Amino acid sequence: MMNILTPRPNPIVAALYTLRDLDVDVAVLHGPSGCGFRAARLLEEDGMKVVTTSMSEEDLIFGASDKLIEVLKEIDELFSPKTIGVVGSCVSMIIGENVKKAIIDSGLKDKAFFVEIHGCMGANTRGAIETLKAAMDFGLIDENEFQRQEKMLLLATEVESNSGMAKSKYTRPSRGADLRTVAEYIVNLLKDKKKIAVVLNAKKETAYLFADIPLAINLASKKYGGSIINVCNLSKIVGLSRIKRYAGDIINNYDSNGITIDYISGGLDEYPIAGKNAIEYLKDKDFDLLVAVGIPQALPILNKESIAVTNGPREVHPLEDAGYKYVTVEIASHSTVMGIRDIVLSELGEVIRDVAGIQ
Amino acid sequence: MKQIAIYGKGGIGKSSISSNLSVNLASEGYEVLLIGCDPKSDSTINLFGGRRIDTVLDLYKKGITDPNKLIFDGYKGVKGVEVGGPAAGVGCAGRGILVALKTLNKDYYLEKGFDIVIYDVPGDVVCGGFAGPAREGYADEVYIVTSGEYLSIYAANNIVKGLFNLNVKMGGIIGNMRNIVNEEQKIESYAKEIGSQLITAVERNSKIHESEIEGKTVLEKYPNDPLNLKFKEIGNKILENKKSKVPNPTTDEKIRSILGGLY
Repeated sequence: MMNILTPRPNPIVAALYTLRDLDVDVAVLHGPSGCGFRAARLLEEDGMKVVTTSMSEEDLIFGASDKLIEVLKEIDELFSPKTIGVVGSCVSMIIGENVKKAIIDSGLKDKAFFVEIHGCMGANTRGAIETLKAAMDFGLIDENEFQRQEKMLLLATEVESNSGMAKSKYTRPSRGADLRTVAEYIVNLLKDKKKIAVVLNAKKETAYLFADIPLAINLASKKYGGSIINVCNLSKIVGLSRIKRYAGDIINNYDSNGITIDYISGGLDEYPIAGKNAIEYLKDKDFDLLVAVGIPQALPILNKESIAVTNGPREVHPLEDAGYKYVTVEIASHSTVMGIRDIVLSELGEVIRDVAGIQ
Repeated sequence: MKQIAIYGKGGIGKSSISSNLSVNLASEGYEVLLIGCDPKSDSTINLFGGRRIDTVLDLYKKGITDPNKLIFDGYKGVKGVEVGGPAAGVGCAGRGILVALKTLNKDYYLEKGFDIVIYDVPGDVVCGGFAGPAREGYADEVYIVTSGEYLSIYAANNIVKGLFNLNVKMGGIIGNMRNIVNEEQKIESYAKEIGSQLITAVERNSKIHESEIEGKTVLEKYPNDPLNLKFKEIGNKILENKKSKVPNPTTDEKIRSILGGLY
């Protein structure tokens, strides 16, 4: 297996995000105070409490089960949570902390469960799968839902290896194409009465931001003409209740803006297959430009002029290599979407509005 | 000044050799520091009449890190330190050794003018932490204690593999015999096989165990016993040893062939 040098997503962070998806109230990271701090802070903005056990050098040597028990009792008193997820860290797992026993000894085994993640190694989806498995064993989700999500996560790993940043040994980051150039290109096509297929293939909460680009293109079309085929992975019947809620929020916004979705390609956690569904739907349709936003690397390549909008500077080069005319990046896609219930402005969406003269 | 580390199979007598060696060198006027690196904290017990001294890591936990307070005066003026560590089955003893060595502050104790610093290391070098005393800046050379028994030499050879990988010099082998046939010859043949030497071999002697029952070294319980001369001999050979070099580990088959040829 190729040793990838590019910094990769992290299974511990994926575990924390999955606990958030499961509407767990508090995540306890059994590790040092700085463990996963960026993700932890973002997740707190999204409503889930994230605490660490502040493991010290001394705890690493002597073990920190007592500290974990104490922290569990403290958060139970402070936050009165219904469910608590305890996630391991490199430090606590290397020394073989007996987390399950600590949970039992804390007296909170009916509300706390352990996600056994060992370190930042391997695919980040491993962290999500382990969390879902632990949640299934704890009774938060049923086996069907676990199997469905496990399949999606394994497919997501495949997408990253085949078409994303895990494709090469080292992938340079890039800010992609100039937003004004891309916005002008799109708006001019609409002024020429051309037809644009817009595919929203977003991952979970990032949809709140990526959905703004189809919105801006539709608003520009309302002003200048042309026509739009809207394909979105906004199923309201697939996935965890939290994920379905995101889809519902975005559809409400589209409804209020008079935007019709032509085809629902799947749910917001189905981006690894929803991209394929979208292209399957579009392959016989007549249109002049494809705009793929969110996880464009999950879309099979169409022999059409295409623009991709991605969430990571390191996805730009692989997408350019795949043949996209323009690739742009929404750099703040993870940080601006926490704790919200409506579409937020995207960078490209704002420039499209500006070029089209709409607000 | 010389820094040495004593390695060998668990239970083979490293601590007995280290503590008896230490007091005999001290009785000849040398300044000796014995650093026990086993989480069981029993390397120096015979320097203190069977009393366990406070360990570096226990004191560290209490916020005491002044090197002066981590080193204790033992029998014949030998200075004793115990690294300490977690209870069995929890935490990370290897990390403990590294943190304790850092807390002890090598620069500090090396300036104290010791003639010899002895690191008595746990039997099984199971992780990087246990190799800490053999790393650059700590022991100048490593001595391995072994009997002539297969498992003991097999364990010694595993340690030799580690020394080879870490590019650490080995001073030689100290035999601690268990009364098996041609034992000294067996140990010596193995030493030659790995490109090292037998420093000396200590006969099995109940006086060592009798002394230890009282928490003493042989020098303290039987001051005039000739066994003490043996430990002085080991100590002086170590201090004068100029033949240390990185050893070459051998194969399991070769060990069996050496031992099998000497029934």
